[in-house]
Amino acid sequence: MRCGDFRETYREDMAIFETRFARGLLAAFLVALAFAPAFATSFWMDVLNRVLIAVVAATGLNILTGFTGQISLGNAAFLAVGAYSTAFLAGRLQLPFFVAIPAAGLLTAGVGMIFGIPSLRLKGLYLAVATLAAHFVVEFTASHWDSVTGGVNGISVPAAHVGGFEFSGDRHLYYLLLPVAVLLLFFAKNLFRTKTGKAFVAIRDQDISAEVMGVNVFKYKLLSFGVSSFYVGVAGSLLAYQAGIISPENFPISVAIDQLGMIIIGGMGSILGSIFGAVFITLLPEILRLFTGALSDTFPKLVDLFAPLRTGMFGLAIVLFLLFEPDGMAARWHTIRNYWKLYPFSY
Amino acid sequence: MKRTIRMVGLLALGMLLAGTARAQEIKVGGSFDITGLTSDVGKPFANGVRDAVAWTNQNGGINGKKIKLIDADYGYKVPEGVALYKRLVNDEKVVMIQGWGTGDTEALKEVVTKDQMPFFSASFSAHLTNPAKTPYNFFVPPSYSDALRAWLKWVKEDWKDKSRNPRVAFFYGDNAYGKSPIEAGRQFAKEIGVDLVDEEILPGLVQDATSQLLNMKQKGADYAYTQCTTPPFSTVLRDAKKLGLTTKWGTNVWGIGELLIAVAKENAEGVVGALPNPPFGTDVPGMKKLVEFHKKNHPNDTHDTNYVRGWSYVMVWTEALRRADKAGQLNGPGIRAALETLRDYDLGGLSQPVTYTKDDHRPTTKVTLYQVQHGKLVKLKEYENPRKPEWIGL
Repeated sequence: MRCGDFRETYREDMAIFETRFARGLLAAFLVALAFAPAFATSFWMDVLNRVLIAVVAATGLNILTGFTGQISLGNAAFLAVGAYSTAFLAGRLQLPFFVAIPAAGLLTAGVGMIFGIPSLRLKGLYLAVATLAAHFVVEFTASHWDSVTGGVNGISVPAAHVGGFEFSGDRHLYYLLLPVAVLLLFFAKNLFRTKTGKAFVAIRDQDISAEVMGVNVFKYKLLSFGVSSFYVGVAGSLLAYQAGIISPENFPISVAIDQLGMIIIGGMGSILGSIFGAVFITLLPEILRLFTGALSDTFPKLVDLFAPLRTGMFGLAIVLFLLFEPDGMAARWHTIRNYWKLYPFSY
Repeated sequence: MKRTIRMVGLLALGMLLAGTARAQEIKVGGSFDITGLTSDVGKPFANGVRDAVAWTNQNGGINGKKIKLIDADYGYKVPEGVALYKRLVNDEKVVMIQGWGTGDTEALKEVVTKDQMPFFSASFSAHLTNPAKTPYNFFVPPSYSDALRAWLKWVKEDWKDKSRNPRVAFFYGDNAYGKSPIEAGRQFAKEIGVDLVDEEILPGLVQDATSQLLNMKQKGADYAYTQCTTPPFSTVLRDAKKLGLTTKWGTNVWGIGELLIAVAKENAEGVVGALPNPPFGTDVPGMKKLVEFHKKNHPNDTHDTNYVRGWSYVMVWTEALRRADKAGQLNGPGIRAALETLRDYDLGGLSQPVTYTKDDHRPTTKVTLYQVQHGKLVKLKEYENPRKPEWIGL
């Protein structure tokens, strides 16, 4: 029986999964996820896919905002860049998805780094406003570059296919989204055990000290914008495949706000937090909708009252988390886990 | 033991009965905006649809079968609208959908075609009327383009100075809804001799339209048409008043209604708008049942033309369901075929008579213009645009 958290080697200290039990649990969870489509209705498949996309996007934002401390309101724009490049690469150039997705990610990374240049001089709120500019620039481009983006009417994206197999429908697409999401999550988790990741964190904690310690602040800030935008671009690419048709109305500023909400509620600077936050924010409206839908037969009057609740709940959740658990759901999860890990002899 | 058996027997009987009762139900999906950007008009519309379905069920249903309306709010968000669509079609197995906004209708038009799912929406974009491209998209009022054409005709008639053509300006948002009738308007203005001198873009949330209005003033527009909803339109009217402009204002279906008078007050005076449905309570044959039903079920609510619009939609598709049911084809293609048999189907004055054919989904080309006079909506004129084949989809 364990009664304390003892780490005797560096290897143990660096381990992502501290016990064999945790590793087993994760494997079991992944297997369960792999079999989820067998049980989920098509509505839940759609929700699951959107959760996976949100997880990737939130992880991207968390790398930039949670780990590097650079606030960004341009996430909806970067999502749009990823989605539109996929529409172009897969639709116009007929490229297969395993080329289109990474290419869309890299393109978005490039765009993200351009909009990240102001971060050399700007911090905090000022940077937020500068990234907000990215949003409007991209939105304008998307609705006016008709020959590439299809303008305000949108553009359709062909289904991802490999050989003769087509990822048509949410059930198939899930098996494309899940591996991509898992892969990117592992990459992100490992990123923060490397020199680059540590440099990001150093910049977040104190950029001047980081500079003094020999971290090239500008280089790593830009790199962070690049990596983050890559993630968001891949999420946008997956979103394009899932939606089938994209238009500027898919990427309003509220998407960027929702994603900031995800990492605040989930936990800034935590990969696990990005997952929790994305799941929570994506499921919240759906669950409230099912709830009000179930009530609508019995209490038709109540539905009108409940419907606006979603917006209110979103705000309330953020305020409550900021007040009572500023480190997000991930921190709460760690508390609970640590309690049980040493149960009943916690010293 | 005996009791248990009896209970099980009763339960089984009950389930059997419930099963047959369900078989007599026709499931229709509803996707409404109750909380989103367009909820000011979306909510009364949704209430109209719900009430009309309840009324239909109380008055014979669909050849005796009841309609079960499974609806939800999607908050005018495209991804949530798409998710709701998937739930309605794949899980709830509805036979058709009463939808709402432009964004989601556009995003779904290819899926709808693939699923063969009749999709009624409140986006009156003319490009949805071409069955060669969107065979399963339907709406009931005249298209945005026909509304703009009718307004241009009125401008031409209203203009008394014969020494030059009237000058008009278009105001619209930079989105699918805003841009929808503009090309048709440009062409038609040229055709009938109205000079389009200015086009101004309105941002999504208009706080101030002074700069656009000053631009327009400089170009010397005598008339201006706004393809936007009531809240931005009221801002435009307020700022026009502030600048002392004498421009005569026109607007589309979402810009005019009881709401405009309530919001813009005296600034709305003289506005001419294409309103396909009469205001609530207008003395037309079809209105009686609405008023009665309304008085009985929500005596304390007030409702407007959008509520009437909801009813008019339900009247159209319940007739199609009746015809499809008689033909034994209560499915997507069957309902579409039934809709395409409607010829001047009369809606009791709640909307223009509706006609859909196999290669023309323009429900009507008759546009009713209303004018705000002394704080009231007054029917001004009715125009019928010719059903030109080259105008399908424009």
